[in-house]
Amino acid sequence: MSSVSSPVSTMSGLRRALTRNRGALIAAAVLAVLLFIVDAISAGPLTYFDVSFLSSGGATSALAAIGQTIVILSGGFDLSAGAVISLVNVVLASGMDPMAPGASVLLWTGVGIGVGMAVGAFNGFFIAVLRMQPIVVTLSTMFILQGVTLLVMDKPGGFVSPDLGTFYLGDAITGWLPMPLVVIGVVLLAWFWLKGTRFGTALYAVGSDTDSAAAVGINVVLVRFAVYVIAGGCYGLAGVFISAQTGSGDPLVGNPLLLSMFAAVVVGGTRLGGGQGGPVGTVFGAYILMMVVNILLVLNVSAYYSTIAEGTILVLAALAGSISHASVFAVQLRAARARFAAWRAGILPSQLERVDRRLKANGPAHGNRNSASPRPALHLRNAEALRYALPAYVCLLVIVIVTQIWLGRAILNPGYWNSLLVLSSFLAVLALGQGTVILTGGLDLSVPWTIGISGIILAGMVNGSDAALLYALPVVLVMACAIGFANGFGIVYLGISPIVMTLATNGILQGFALLYSQGTPAGFSSPMLRWFMTAKLGFVTPVVLLLIVFVIIAVLLLGRTPFGRRVYGIGNGLRAARLSGIGVERTLILVYMLSAVCAAVVGIMLTGFSGQASLGMGDDYLLPSIAVVVVGGALITGGRGHYLGMLGGVLLLTALQMLLAGTTLPYATRAILYGLVVLGAVMALRERQPQ
Amino acid sequence: MGIGLKVRRLALLAGMAVCAFGMSAAEAAEKHKIFLSMSFIGNDWQAEAANMVKAMASHKSMADKVDLQVQVAGPNAQRQIQQINAMVQAGAEAIVIFPISPTALNQVVKNACDKGVKVFAYDAEITEPCAYNVHIDQEEAGRVTAEWLVKKLNGKGNIIAVTGVPGTSVDDLRTKAAKEVFAKYPDIKIVGEAVGMWSQAVARTELSKILATRNWNDINGLWMQVGCFTANSMQLEAGKKASELLPCAGEGSNGGRIQMLPEGTEVEGAASPYAPLGAPRISYASPPYSGALALKLAVEAIEGKDVPKTTILPLPVVTNETIKLCNEGSWAEMKAGCNAFKPSLVSNPGWFASIFSDQTPEIGLNAALVGQPEN
Repeated sequence: MSSVSSPVSTMSGLRRALTRNRGALIAAAVLAVLLFIVDAISAGPLTYFDVSFLSSGGATSALAAIGQTIVILSGGFDLSAGAVISLVNVVLASGMDPMAPGASVLLWTGVGIGVGMAVGAFNGFFIAVLRMQPIVVTLSTMFILQGVTLLVMDKPGGFVSPDLGTFYLGDAITGWLPMPLVVIGVVLLAWFWLKGTRFGTALYAVGSDTDSAAAVGINVVLVRFAVYVIAGGCYGLAGVFISAQTGSGDPLVGNPLLLSMFAAVVVGGTRLGGGQGGPVGTVFGAYILMMVVNILLVLNVSAYYSTIAEGTILVLAALAGSISHASVFAVQLRAARARFAAWRAGILPSQLERVDRRLKANGPAHGNRNSASPRPALHLRNAEALRYALPAYVCLLVIVIVTQIWLGRAILNPGYWNSLLVLSSFLAVLALGQGTVILTGGLDLSVPWTIGISGIILAGMVNGSDAALLYALPVVLVMACAIGFANGFGIVYLGISPIVMTLATNGILQGFALLYSQGTPAGFSSPMLRWFMTAKLGFVTPVVLLLIVFVIIAVLLLGRTPFGRRVYGIGNGLRAARLSGIGVERTLILVYMLSAVCAAVVGIMLTGFSGQASLGMGDDYLLPSIAVVVVGGALITGGRGHYLGMLGGVLLLTALQMLLAGTTLPYATRAILYGLVVLGAVMALRERQPQ
Repeated sequence: MGIGLKVRRLALLAGMAVCAFGMSAAEAAEKHKIFLSMSFIGNDWQAEAANMVKAMASHKSMADKVDLQVQVAGPNAQRQIQQINAMVQAGAEAIVIFPISPTALNQVVKNACDKGVKVFAYDAEITEPCAYNVHIDQEEAGRVTAEWLVKKLNGKGNIIAVTGVPGTSVDDLRTKAAKEVFAKYPDIKIVGEAVGMWSQAVARTELSKILATRNWNDINGLWMQVGCFTANSMQLEAGKKASELLPCAGEGSNGGRIQMLPEGTEVEGAASPYAPLGAPRISYASPPYSGALALKLAVEAIEGKDVPKTTILPLPVVTNETIKLCNEGSWAEMKAGCNAFKPSLVSNPGWFASIFSDQTPEIGLNAALVGQPEN
């Protein structure tokens, strides 16, 4: 952390506390301002009842987000949080007896927290003990839990005793203190106690720098394992709370909470990647996001604008959290001023005389390098890429063989391979964009509505005419460049975290798509585009040929161009990349533009494939686009991964889905199998034992 | 477009919204304050339903009675709970809801009822007894379509089932009812089952997956909650002739309805596969006018009229015998029996065509397309 280098002794205790908790303090201030705005605009004054409603409204997200914060502080990532909430909800709703006179609040709270901790232990085992990547383990867990949840309860219903509601939604002190705030307060107190223990210190240490933590003797495995168990307990408590609030069970209730949970963490001042921030800010973050509902209501923002307004509020909240001398935005401003001064003084590198200032290398010239040390064999040179890319292909082979045995008509059926490639083509294109973003250590969550808006605008402009493709395609692609530029600009120059920036962009694009289409996307794909995606030349659909060209270009782009080397450089170490002269800003913006263009191409392809565009057509592609990249051997924190590996991930997941679709297994079983196979596929990717 | 521009534009919009609010608050003193809490707005059905509600509220019989505010809760039940609370606090007389969950809203709805607010749920159901519900009988939908398919196949054949969103009551009721029918005929075999998420696009990818290891010739019929239009298109792509299309029991998309018209019918704007094919079909739908009807009933309830707690809408069923093309799509024309719209008027084949109700003469085709009421 940067504050370590500043002279601590000259800082008063108060100032130090302020600096350390800046994120949380700013989040609290933003929340206060929002409360004030709502109070000022709404008809009546803010009463205790309003406060009570607000406190129960945000409590589920706040509790779950506290758990997520702890995971993120340790350098992890947990996608199973929403699924745990659903599972606890249905377990409680199906477990309680409607005939029983009362229910023990303590017992059922214990059951909920216990279920959450059990899931956390499952996650923790694979992540801490087997050293697998958190994102892919928790993603698999998410699928498995969604299946299990549907097995427990396949539709909304069940019964949660009103006693639970009376306890959790009532007043701790009548007229003064609502119970939800007390519950959150107790959890935070427990956190403060934990933070003060050796475990708390170890947690921050592991999140800041795992290797150093291990070097000073911290049991990294144990800390990581405990983190997921504790976080699971928090999700469990959130599940208990939502059960109390709704009085019933719904197998889908928790899933939509996932993305906003990350937003709450980041808005609350916790840095993704670990080591900085804390749950207090997160609680404020969760309530800020919840307040948005009330603000939209009092401002009477039209339905079509609501996602735009939400996205903007998210960006503004994130910006407010980064106002300081050390913020990226301020640094960029100072750098721009310095560059301008240098330009006026005529000492910019580009203004200097061009002479070769490279150091002369000793020894023989480049010419006879080959004879001096023979190039190692191909498989040795690419050993690392092979190690991480191969598992996906091995699993693909297994899946194809199982398909042949179970369903028949696979290996020798050209139609099977053609379908596999056509269905894979969407994710294969997305994998380049998302994969490149992930290689730089970022994440692009704006993929769904970039796909959606591209498809809708293209279908609207083309409207069945091949000639219109000539101008519609460039328009859509240019628009995608602009979307990517906006993402990159916000991330690079305003210093907004990629998750928040792209999440906000996603919402804003959704609003634009709705406004553009007035809710009903018009138009349909032209015959040529449809031919391209669905016709057969012999046994091959034309898009398969494009896919082959695309793969070659993608491999060359990441492996053989300066752009590709810069991407890997940034992912391996931002500071090192900057010091070695990489134009980090420009490269990052290009990376996000690439991702947006890939998403737009998928939008165009999907429009051709389905013959029309629809709202929400990209929604099913966000998590898979991340999953294939990681299953293909890339490191979610950046710097490692090969496009061919990602392609293997795409083919594997698509083949698996085709196998499951061919069976008549119930959906719940399919979801569980899908999760288990993904988990199994990445077992081989686990990190080597630290030396 | 830079962020700065977006931000500025938004600030402007927010400012305008504040002004609009200030004005309408003064004007609306006499009007009934009604809120609409929608779910996720990002799909075709929801947007169409929202347009129809808007049109209903702006119809001349309603405009001076109703002050309607529309809010979106997204897919998140938790947010809808808070939204309903906020609406009650803001002085709603009635709240019209597309419930994200049939059960999760019960407590907040009960709380609203206790404060004298009329709560109307459309399309899906709220199980809290004090709420008014406006929807079709989902079990009937599953049963009627399955029975049609069995009859078409003479009780024998391999079928593919494409369901909706798993874990929702609507999907559960429809699918279970249909499977009960199929179970009565031992020669009907469900050889493939996919989760279609009520989306034409998803139906296409799922069917492609199933057909990777199967052949259209092995299949005799399709039961789909959404996706018959897509299934017919895929059969044409696979080289089938229009006369060889498989019987398909499924959704009420306009594309599917147009395909049901006898092959060779002259239809303005038609282009294959969005064209008359004489496809053997039964077309049913959860009609998107239910929200508009709920709003109308809510106003009646506020005005003291007696409104039943549950309004079961007649299941809109169209078969090849009853399919009829509309010229303009006015309410009067639909009342005379037309139920499909020209592609030149509705260019999106996935658009839901079951928009007619004899209880809502205020809204016709323009209501569903752009939110304009009938005169």
